[in-house]
Amino acid sequence: MIISKKIDRKKLLETIKDYNSFFLVGCSECASLCGTGGEPELEELKKELEAAGKKVTGTFRAKTGCQVLGTKVELKPFKDELADTQVVIVMSCGAGTQAMVEAFPDKPVYPSNDSLFLGNMTRFQMFDERCSLCGECILEQTGGICPVTNCPKGLLNGPCGGTSNGNCEVSPDIRCAWVRIYDRLEKINRLDDMKKVIKAKDWSKSQSPQVLSARPKKEGKKTK
Amino acid sequence: MVTAEVGPPKGTDIKEMLHHIEVLKGKIDAANVTDNQSAVMRISSLAVCQIVKENGLEPILQMTCRDRNRIGLQADLLGASVLGIESVLCMTGDHVSAGDHKAAKPVYDIESVQLLQVVDGMNNGKDMSGNDLQGSTNFFQGAVVTPEANPLQPQLIKFGKKVEAGARFFQTQAIYDIDKFKTFMEHARQYSTKVLAGIVVLKSAGMAKFLNNFVPGITVPDELIEELKAAGKEKALETGLNIAARHVKQLHDEKICDGVHIMAIGMEDKVPTIMERAGLL
Ligand code: SF4
Ligand code: SF4
Repeated sequence: MIISKKIDRKKLLETIKDYNSFFLVGCSECASLCGTGGEPELEELKKELEAAGKKVTGTFRAKTGCQVLGTKVELKPFKDELADTQVVIVMSCGAGTQAMVEAFPDKPVYPSNDSLFLGNMTRFQMFDERCSLCGECILEQTGGICPVTNCPKGLLNGPCGGTSNGNCEVSPDIRCAWVRIYDRLEKINRLDDMKKVIKAKDWSKSQSPQVLSARPKKEGKKTK
Repeated sequence: MVTAEVGPPKGTDIKEMLHHIEVLKGKIDAANVTDNQSAVMRISSLAVCQIVKENGLEPILQMTCRDRNRIGLQADLLGASVLGIESVLCMTGDHVSAGDHKAAKPVYDIESVQLLQVVDGMNNGKDMSGNDLQGSTNFFQGAVVTPEANPLQPQLIKFGKKVEAGARFFQTQAIYDIDKFKTFMEHARQYSTKVLAGIVVLKSAGMAKFLNNFVPGITVPDELIEELKAAGKEKALETGLNIAARHVKQLHDEKICDGVHIMAIGMEDKVPTIMERAGLL
């Protein structure tokens, strides 16, 4: 999921200081799990804005805030509230915020969160980064542990000289990614995988901005 | 074979560096020129290699992957080649978080093993994309290894990959336990690559303890710490130089490896002293 963190509230209040009425949009997916865009957070921000003398016209939690069309449909019942709204504040990731920019072409839309990384929830509201979306997965060669993401230097062919008792020299409180990979490959009896040189990555595979159509191609319609 | 280091300064005053080059000239076989060592910004390695060469000392161009992408690295390799620089040491490079520009974006487009492949390709007339070079390079390329890494096995696998990727020589992280190093060399000897043992002079018992506690992959045995302590504050450096000379001599006399790489870290003046005491000058 996309891991997000609340923006410093002082900074948010500074951003919106010239406006008076707000509509808040949360998201039931990642942002709810991160505690940045669920019901409790919508309620909390509403109270804070009201305490600052602002008006909150309504709050709404999208099913999947980055699903543009679906979210637009979900917003239809809020027509009246939205008519009274100067600014929409989005409490999800940066993609969710930009979905609302599309939904509200004539209103300022501001984020209440910083979007951090793609990761896993390891315990309640504890998150670890796991994938940097490099566009060409090599997990099959590294025992299923991603060195692009878990090694601060993104080393693809084994540990640097700085591994200290199995921990990382750059972030001493985490295990060295390559020690983890070695241990895992040993356990699954595939240490030979580590002996093959992994070639330089093709970073063009992850060049932004990317678009993708996963639709089946319609017969008869050929793209030139 | 003996190599040492020339550290480019931060700033344009190169008097002290020129003095170090003068002291080392004619004594050692070649000098590594470090590349923004410890991620601290300094004069570029390539520029200093040229100065080292002009002053009659053979340079080894250290190249890290931290500050340049594959286009920059290859361009500098071609530049080094036309300047007549013959040896290059391929490294990934310390992370920017270790240095004095912590907000910098680390590059790591490629890493040490892949950089070795790049040099090998350029020696064979091709750039990284497979394009023909108008005139190929002719580098003697090397890499680094940590013989006392903990754990050691993953490091040894990487050592093998570096050889496969074209490393013709290795300079090691500092070693202080010759018997342990012999075990490493038994492993290394299955490959036809040269190994220069890393020697770092111990200036005091305190420094030895610091290395043990804070520098991964370096272990100073207790006997050496005791020896430094027994010498007392005033004679500690002398003792450190003697220990270094003793190790160099043993490595040389017993032909344990192919040479030594003496990292004097600001005490380049002392490199000839160590060599004299080891019977090499
Ligand atoms: S290799 Fe690339 S796609 Fe696969 S987990 Fe790592 S960053 Fe993600
Ligand atoms: S210690 Fe391991 S994880 Fe950390 S930078 Fe070195 S190889 Fe990467």
